[in-house]
Amino acid sequence: MVEARLELHDISKRYGGVRAIRHADLTVEPGTVHAIVGENGAGKSTLIKIIAGAESADTGTMAFEGAPMHLTSTQDALGYGIQTVYQEPQLFAELTVSENIFVGREMVKGGRVDWPAQHVRVLELLDLLGLPARYATRAVGDLSIAEQQQVSIAKALAGNAKVLILDEPSAILTDSEIEVLFGVVRRLTDSGVSVIYISHRLDELFRICHEVTVMRDGETIGTWLIDDLTVRKVVELMVGGAIEDHPETRTTSDAEPRLVLEQLAAAGHFSDVSVSVRPGEIVGLYGLIGSGVAEIAEVVYGMRHATGGRILLEGKPINPRHPRDAQKLGIALLPANRKAQGMFAFQPIAFNISVSHLPLLSKAKIWMDRRRETAVARDMIQRLSIKTPSEQQPISAMSGGNAQKVVLARQLVERPQVLVLAEPTQGVDVGAKEEIHRIIRALAAEGTAVLVATSDLSEALRISDRLHIVRSGTTTREFAPGASQADVLAAAAGADEEVPA
Amino acid sequence: MSTDVSTPSSAPTPEPAEPSATKVARRILPSPVTGQEWVLVAIVVALWIVLSIATPAFGSASSWQPLLSSVAPIALMGVGMTMIIITGGIDVSVGGALMVAGVTTAKLLVDQGVSLPVAVVAAAVLGLVLGLVNGFLIAYGRVHAIIITFGTANLFQFVGRQIFASQTVNGIPGTLDFFGRGEAGRTLGLPHSFVLTLLVAVGAWIWLRHNRSGRHLYAIGGDPTAARLAGIQVQRLTLMTYAATGLLVGIAAVFTVASGTSTLDQTIGSGRELAVIAAVVIGGTSITGGRGSVLGTVLGALLVQIVASGVTQLGWPSQLSDFFVGVAIAIAVGADLIRQRARQQR
Repeated sequence: MVEARLELHDISKRYGGVRAIRHADLTVEPGTVHAIVGENGAGKSTLIKIIAGAESADTGTMAFEGAPMHLTSTQDALGYGIQTVYQEPQLFAELTVSENIFVGREMVKGGRVDWPAQHVRVLELLDLLGLPARYATRAVGDLSIAEQQQVSIAKALAGNAKVLILDEPSAILTDSEIEVLFGVVRRLTDSGVSVIYISHRLDELFRICHEVTVMRDGETIGTWLIDDLTVRKVVELMVGGAIEDHPETRTTSDAEPRLVLEQLAAAGHFSDVSVSVRPGEIVGLYGLIGSGVAEIAEVVYGMRHATGGRILLEGKPINPRHPRDAQKLGIALLPANRKAQGMFAFQPIAFNISVSHLPLLSKAKIWMDRRRETAVARDMIQRLSIKTPSEQQPISAMSGGNAQKVVLARQLVERPQVLVLAEPTQGVDVGAKEEIHRIIRALAAEGTAVLVATSDLSEALRISDRLHIVRSGTTTREFAPGASQADVLAAAAGADEEVPA
Repeated sequence: MSTDVSTPSSAPTPEPAEPSATKVARRILPSPVTGQEWVLVAIVVALWIVLSIATPAFGSASSWQPLLSSVAPIALMGVGMTMIIITGGIDVSVGGALMVAGVTTAKLLVDQGVSLPVAVVAAAVLGLVLGLVNGFLIAYGRVHAIIITFGTANLFQFVGRQIFASQTVNGIPGTLDFFGRGEAGRTLGLPHSFVLTLLVAVGAWIWLRHNRSGRHLYAIGGDPTAARLAGIQVQRLTLMTYAATGLLVGIAAVFTVASGTSTLDQTIGSGRELAVIAAVVIGGTSITGGRGSVLGTVLGALLVQIVASGVTQLGWPSQLSDFFVGVAIAIAVGADLIRQRARQQR
């Protein structure tokens, strides 16, 4: 019996108070493709970072070909031949493909980079990946994202890979590019390289992988041979015995829809998205990261421009070109990335709440009415149970959940006709999550039409009156309340057509 | 699977002979002169011809020799600045550093009567020290380059004025005439300062294009985090670019003192950082880092000085030269922006 290429035993990792990985075991055999699957937040990325040397584990042991392995940096991992291709290509746009492949480990002859020697090796790698030889001298910035991804793989292979980690390699590739990728992966495994494959597209696993390790809530729950699994089975393992709880079914009006998206499209992100939201209704848009859900929310708020389809508000077509247009129409957005898009970090809570409403909170629209600003801020702090000693506290000093409530409060000062939330509870703790959901429901009860774009499955199921699945940038299926996690996840992961086992 | 028959494959064929290896090298490297540089060459040549016809005096040696002398310090500092801007940094303190090195050199000549080699070495070492100050603060202090060098620019000016002590340094001897505007400063009609600048520029051009560390500067400017992950010594190379620039500023100070009169006043270095950055940007180096070349910078410096000289000789108001330089910068930055937008659309 051959030694395992890579063996992880009882790995755990904490970030502050959050346990990203509770317990992980993993054994990767030489010359195999080993998939790691799990929901968003199950701990896959952290595990990958530990293997790549970018993070160090708190507990546990690792072994490489039978000998103990200690990694303190990515350089250590590279020394073992552990190469990682991240989702975002780590390339230099102005350098040529050839230079990118060899950056940091150039072949040098007589004080100069040995271009001819590098070129020979680059041509071999390009041929292996099915890229034309002339690409060697092209600047990477002139290539498409998919081609850049292939360059990243070439870069990893140039370093004599023994373990190749592919983190969501197919997320940005077209079907024919995926075929090329699979061809490369097969050739690599034939020559003895072990590939660790992360993907949300579960149907792919059955075409390329040999073994599957499933992660759930920071634990590896087991490893199976692919032949013993079906997509359905994988989804059930990923979701596991998680509580299939549903909130009290809310009665919703059958009024005319307030917000309608008709075959809405934004080139490169999503197309043919059709959704309608009635007053008082909460409609969920669930999709895996990269499926285009966040971008849909941004188009409705005027941050991105639609390239096709229509948005109707109260039956009339609208075309918000700027967030200000959307605000005037009574549309509010809770952005996905609150640090970059929602917070004025060093400013107090009161400023963060009042900043979008200065005409309303000023005297004769000229100078600020500080007393009203304070009153509004205090009212919001109380209504949303924001935990803070005073409204003068800077928002940067607050926890994720409380900061998110402040950003939400800003959208609620003037009660919006339509509230769009993108990833409303990303990075907030369970208690705050519960409260934010309560606030969203209370708003809907007052008649606001709510659209929630999320990649958190349990949130999508819990909050939505109706739930649309977004897959590859299109709304595919609609679920009524009471849908099971397994059904929804299977639909989002691309197992629509499969007959349930 | 298409395989290129003409290229050596992994099969153990004997290494190609030397001539064919260089032929391969020529084909596998991006073209040595970029499109923007050809445009600059064309503009410089066109301006030269037009100005020679419009004002016959422009074509005479007594006109282009001082022109090349005035290009030398700008282009020399531009070589260093190009390296800095390629890494995504900037140095707005070169004017102040030029003043410190210049006045110190002048004082040494007047008070100590030092020889030419001593003056050059002293100025270069002083410039190097000032560059190291900037480099250490930026590479290891991790504060943004424009803030740090803006601070040191003021500091250098203060130090420079302190060394001046009075309004001017008078009675500078002719020790530096080898780099001056007179007959002693020329060989075969070419100013020595310009020739030396060209030699430095050619060396830097080759280094940036073919040396491992030179290529790494482009990687740092492209993405410093990815560069560190790729095992590039980001901090050390960053420090090196500021130190090299400081050293070149020191030599540029010698050129500046040499080409002046026997009196040096406090305007030395004033506004020079802007002329240098203008030359670099017009030369096609991207202000956001990752792209650029020394050839472009030399052409940019030539263009700026030809415009200034041409405006004077045509008898136009001198502020028009600022206007033309401003337009050239706007076009260069615009071209860079359009290139980057076009990429993002992919």
